[in-house]
Amino acid sequence: MSEESAEKISGKSTFGLVIFGPILGMLYVCLLPIIALMTLLVAIPELASAKKTDILQSSGMCMGCHSSQEFTKTFRNKEKMSVFVNEKDFKGSVHRFLNCTDCHGKISLDTHPGNSAMYEDRAAFTVAMASACRKCHSDSQLKAKPNHAFLTNKTNGPPCMQCHGAHGVKRIAEWKPALSSNNQYCLTCHSQNISKKHKNGETLSLHIDAAGLSASVHNKHDCSDCHTEYTRTSHPVKEFQSSRTHSIAVSEACKKCHADKYQAVHESIHFKMISEGNLKAPVCTDCHGFHSVGPKETYETLSGVPCRKCHEDIFKIYSKSVHGMAKAKGTHNAPLCYSCHFAHEVKVTTMTEKIKGACLGCHKDVEEAHAKWLPNAALHLSAIACAACHSPGSGKGIYLRLYDQETGKPFTEEQMLKLMGGTYEGMARKMDPHGDGIESDELWSLVSRLNEKGSNAKVTFFGRMDVSNGSEAHQLSFKKNAVKECENCHSQESDFFKSVTVAVVKADGRMTRYKAKPEVLGSMFSLLSLKQFYVLGSTRLKVLDWIGILMVFGGMSVPIAHITLRAITSPIREAKRMNNMRKEGKR
Amino acid sequence: MKKIYLHPLPVRIWHWVNAISFIVLIVTGLQIRYREILGLMKFREAVDIHNIFGFILIFNFFIWLVFYIVSGKIKIYIPPLNLKKFVMGSLKQARYYGYGILMGEPNPHHSTPDNKFNPMQQMAYLAIMLLLIPLQLLSGLLLWDAKRFSDFISLAGGIKIVDTVHVFLFLFFMSFLFVHIYLATLGHTATAHIKAMFTGYEELEEEHGH
Repeated sequence: MSEESAEKISGKSTFGLVIFGPILGMLYVCLLPIIALMTLLVAIPELASAKKTDILQSSGMCMGCHSSQEFTKTFRNKEKMSVFVNEKDFKGSVHRFLNCTDCHGKISLDTHPGNSAMYEDRAAFTVAMASACRKCHSDSQLKAKPNHAFLTNKTNGPPCMQCHGAHGVKRIAEWKPALSSNNQYCLTCHSQNISKKHKNGETLSLHIDAAGLSASVHNKHDCSDCHTEYTRTSHPVKEFQSSRTHSIAVSEACKKCHADKYQAVHESIHFKMISEGNLKAPVCTDCHGFHSVGPKETYETLSGVPCRKCHEDIFKIYSKSVHGMAKAKGTHNAPLCYSCHFAHEVKVTTMTEKIKGACLGCHKDVEEAHAKWLPNAALHLSAIACAACHSPGSGKGIYLRLYDQETGKPFTEEQMLKLMGGTYEGMARKMDPHGDGIESDELWSLVSRLNEKGSNAKVTFFGRMDVSNGSEAHQLSFKKNAVKECENCHSQESDFFKSVTVAVVKADGRMTRYKAKPEVLGSMFSLLSLKQFYVLGSTRLKVLDWIGILMVFGGMSVPIAHITLRAITSPIREAKRMNNMRKEGKR
Repeated sequence: MKKIYLHPLPVRIWHWVNAISFIVLIVTGLQIRYREILGLMKFREAVDIHNIFGFILIFNFFIWLVFYIVSGKIKIYIPPLNLKKFVMGSLKQARYYGYGILMGEPNPHHSTPDNKFNPMQQMAYLAIMLLLIPLQLLSGLLLWDAKRFSDFISLAGGIKIVDTVHVFLFLFFMSFLFVHIYLATLGHTATAHIKAMFTGYEELEEEHGH
């Protein structure tokens, strides 16, 4: 059956060939130049590449060796690198149509595999290899995205392969969705050792320690929770003057969640300093770190308390104190910086009542305990700083502070300026015109000026006994070392009365200290200016001592003078008596 | 020898309690104020003793006040309301102390239970008993617990003012003591007045020429 039909067809085809043969032939002849041209067009690149690298005509030859996992390359620093190329990965990559030599242009069989390593180490090799990418990927293409441009402009920017991979390179669009989270996306670059320069030349590392981040309390957050302006599609390039301005700016991010703490910080001395332009003062990140923010407890240990970074001198004193030693021993409720100064609303505690509140917060029975042995315990506790007695070896002094008796509140520097005019800088000259310590009359004229101009304020000085500087307040010792002898203070020879400071308190608790002469305490003027400060035996008026001597001598001179007169006149009386006796005798 | 019962027992007790308290308060007061010069005792002891005797003095003052008011004897402290009589009496007394006593003239004032003080004494003791002593007791009380009485202290102008008043009066009393003791020896014998303060009876000098 099949043979028959084959015959039929062949019979017909003979006829067909006669007719169509010449037509096809003519068509072929006509198309020949076109075919030739096309063949040439296809062959030319092959020929071109064959000319350049005539040895390696296809990947096949390379893969003869490089498909084996056993070969390695040794750099000059003896670092080894596998030269295995995963063919499957390469075939799946965006570069699958390229030949090995397209990128590895310098390879020649004369020298490959070479014995001597060309590169110092793997990093240098990677950097050198990255130049191959530039053959196809133009600068303008690379810089189309600002962050990419930023990286590629850097001398220390990571080589292309570090992010994109080498042989298994994929389109960005292909591997973006493969990243599990935003953080992974950002860390693609930021886990690298990248950095940028601030305007002042300081270097800011942009490297994020992924381990630190995942150990932090913020490990459930996405980068963009804090870095709100940065997303997969937006990566603005920001410029900062310096590391400090950068830190201050990024701390704003904390506000989003920690508004309460942020508010507390706003009332702190640290914030006040920053707002006055003192950029040394700490912001959130200075204490808590950037990405490795730990749990609260991290900062509540001797080694972790961030205050010591700046206040190391005070910290040293503290660590030798009864509190520091207790903390070191592991006493769980032993106070650390924040216990008295508060972690966020950090207050200047010197010279304010607040510090005493901090002591009494733990030592609740202070008043009763003192009252057992100390007369007028409450009075003593109100006029003497705890540290004045409890930090042995510290310098001592009297601090005179202005108070408004009407309100019972400190009369602040701001209020003074309002009344007296002028500037903060001019204040010192007003307080102490001769610059040799405030004298008693100057102190009095200050008080009287404040009272005459302040229509409803009743300003007077209150005296307080304290250690001579804030650091010393931290060397609190054991109870047995505390001052117990009355004579320590109740004597003109006491150290307290040799140093007198006029402390003008700012509204935020900071104070400006002006040295005063110790004589102000016993001057006549003190009756007017220091009406509210008096320590038994120590602040006695000099004038009164002299009046006393005069009065006692006056009192004694009355009998002495009278007895003298009587002695002188005794002959008169004797004569008179004799006369009388004679008269009586006559009678 | 004529005797006159001048000092009733309560007055005598009051006087000597006062006297002892004054001495103790002066000594401890000096010790408190001039610790580095005196050094008789510890500051704490001085303050404690001073406080105790301060309260004794306060209590004693009220014994005096109640006794004199209840018995009506307070009038011996009141100078004559007749100014001329008072001035003349004072001048006469002053003349006696300044001149008469030297010339052997008799004291123009004769103490009786109802008229114990001469006009100068009346003036001095009225001021002392009703002004200076209460002021001293009050300022002492305020200083004793300056915290408790802080409102009163502020009202008085400040603790330094109160202390200055207290010290000034203390200096006055101390110097007055010399005069007081000396005048006590100016009886008809040196010890007559002093004895009377123990026994209550003042011996009167036999009047000559009667």
